Amino acid sequence: MSAALPSAATAADAAPLLRLAGVGKDYAKVETRGGRLKLVYDLLRGHGARHVFRALDEVSLDLRRGESLGVVGENGAGKSTLLKMIAGVVKPTRGTVVVNGRVGALLELGSGFHPDYTGLANIDLAAALLGLAPAELAAKREEIVAFADLGSHIDDPIKHYSSGMVVRLGFAVATALTPDILITDEVLAVGDESFQRKCIAWMERYLEDGGTLILCSHGMYHVQKLCRHALWLKDGRVAGYGAAADVTQAYLAYHEEKSAGAKRPSTPAAASAAGIYAITSLALEPSERIAQGEPLVVRGQAFSPDGRAPVVLVGIVRADGTPVYGVATDMEDTAPVRLDANRYAFALELPALALLPGKYLVRAHALDPEGVRLFDHVEREIVVSGQTRELGLVRLPHRWNPPAS
Amino acid sequence: MNADARAGTRNRALARNFFFRELSTRYLGSVSGLAWALVHPLALLGVYYFVFTKVFRATGFAGQSFLAFVAVALWPWLAAQESLQRATVSLNGYAGLIRKVAFPHEIVVYASVAATLALQFAGYLAVLVVLRVGGEPIHLEGLVVALPLWCIMAVAVAGLALMLAALQVFVRDVEHVLMPVLMIVMYLTPILYPLTLVPDDLRPWVAANPFGWLVSRMRDALLEGHLALQWGDALAAMVALALFAAGRALFLRLSPHFEDFVG
Repeated sequence: MSAALPSAATAADAAPLLRLAGVGKDYAKVETRGGRLKLVYDLLRGHGARHVFRALDEVSLDLRRGESLGVVGENGAGKSTLLKMIAGVVKPTRGTVVVNGRVGALLELGSGFHPDYTGLANIDLAAALLGLAPAELAAKREEIVAFADLGSHIDDPIKHYSSGMVVRLGFAVATALTPDILITDEVLAVGDESFQRKCIAWMERYLEDGGTLILCSHGMYHVQKLCRHALWLKDGRVAGYGAAADVTQAYLAYHEEKSAGAKRPSTPAAASAAGIYAITSLALEPSERIAQGEPLVVRGQAFSPDGRAPVVLVGIVRADGTPVYGVATDMEDTAPVRLDANRYAFALELPALALLPGKYLVRAHALDPEGVRLFDHVEREIVVSGQTRELGLVRLPHRWNPPAS
Repeated sequence: MNADARAGTRNRALARNFFFRELSTRYLGSVSGLAWALVHPLALLGVYYFVFTKVFRATGFAGQSFLAFVAVALWPWLAAQESLQRATVSLNGYAGLIRKVAFPHEIVVYASVAATLALQFAGYLAVLVVLRVGGEPIHLEGLVVALPLWCIMAVAVAGLALMLAALQVFVRDVEHVLMPVLMIVMYLTPILYPLTLVPDDLRPWVAANPFGWLVSRMRDALLEGHLALQWGDALAAMVALALFAAGRALFLRLSPHFEDFVG
């Protein structure tokens, strides 16, 4: 247990620590007492339950040493069931789970604590659950107590602890026992500032030493920071699996869209002949995906019913509708170029796109030549990709200066 | 160390942990402490003594004093009864663990049964010694037979306990049904009366009770000083093992589903 973990580089080609192949889990649905009796009868006869709720379906993943995994998804998406399955608490109804790590080396942070036990007794219990020999435990106990830093509370039953204190103890146990795979469920944000720093510092060292983390979190920041891969669960199925940055961005984009409500139509207006100022075509270069900092060109044509040049406004909004930037031809004393009596063309270049990774909509609006009335808009979706962990919508020009003297 | 050996080490460590936890939370945690393990059966013994010898003025306890006759049988029964009652609800106390950590759930039941039996057996020894010192004709050398009999009982009780505990997770009524059932079984077992007082036509039915057989063997050993083992003992051991195997099979069938229903 105390042996140093092999470094990530040497172990990367070894068999995966954990492999889930087409795994699914059904939970029995019983409402009545009679239903429970019937369920027991079915289970004893070796039949599955009759009425089931499909909590997980067709989940496959490989976890290699040192390649941490973030699990994201909405409440009820099956994250907890997946973690339980990895921890061996839940047996899959379908598919197979193969764990090549050491038996008992899976630990869910703060799990397995007994509320009636004192802090110290819970340390002993956690050690027993991990199969630690009593001699090993004696050496570790002090280390754990020191890390948790709970003072005299260590002798109180943990049911009297605050949730922050429980997490401190859980983390302290995890740090001392150095499991092959550490499973944590949304706990990094608990505890005071100094304890959080201690946790993050330990976690980074653990990961550097080849430790493997399974992090179940709503905080994309942590997933992106600590995990190489991410798995997005939606209604018990895999909605995305791959590089942490890609999956978390897709997940965020999904949420932004969801909170923005129904999407507006994005087809070019066919009403060009209807006699209003309208955008008749709109294209982005590149078209669907752009790396952060690359140039983006927005090209399009507008229809003018009376031959006068319309004002064209190009705007960028995040997928949830938050406006980011907008600029119109008349603001900068320019105008679309006339093609024929009723058609005008425009092209807007954004030389180094400052947008942070995520999903955005580029909209072009046609206004009357006075730039007062807004008639029509057309939008195009674009995904900005990148590995950055900066926050917000755009990268503002910045530099870190030495502190002023 | 291979995986099996490591799991074995772990399970022993867990069993030890659970066992001592059961002992400490049950008795050491309460104000009166360990004394409860003795006080309850002693109080019962006192009440039975009063009712049977003072009120009903019953006689014919196989030539023995009522106290010795009942004490020898009452303790094992109370030990079995308490073991079953506690073990039935034991998994509840470990709900947090069962929902979060993979470990053999049967260890919980074994720890619960073992803790109860260990305490009750200690009480049993204490009472036998006290009765002997008080002049009752107790053959303490009979413990050579009584101890294996307790072991047979422990195996059978563990089997039943596994069954009840597993069913209780799904059907909460088990706990409530168990209480009256145990009460009835106790009165149908020749604990407070000798088999010889049972009417002839009913006697075979009462005699068929395996627990009745167990206490009669204990009386043979501790009250009469018969130390020879019988073929019946081997049969009893086999029955106990069969009961255990059946209970464990049922438990293992249901235990993968505890996580969803326990607590």
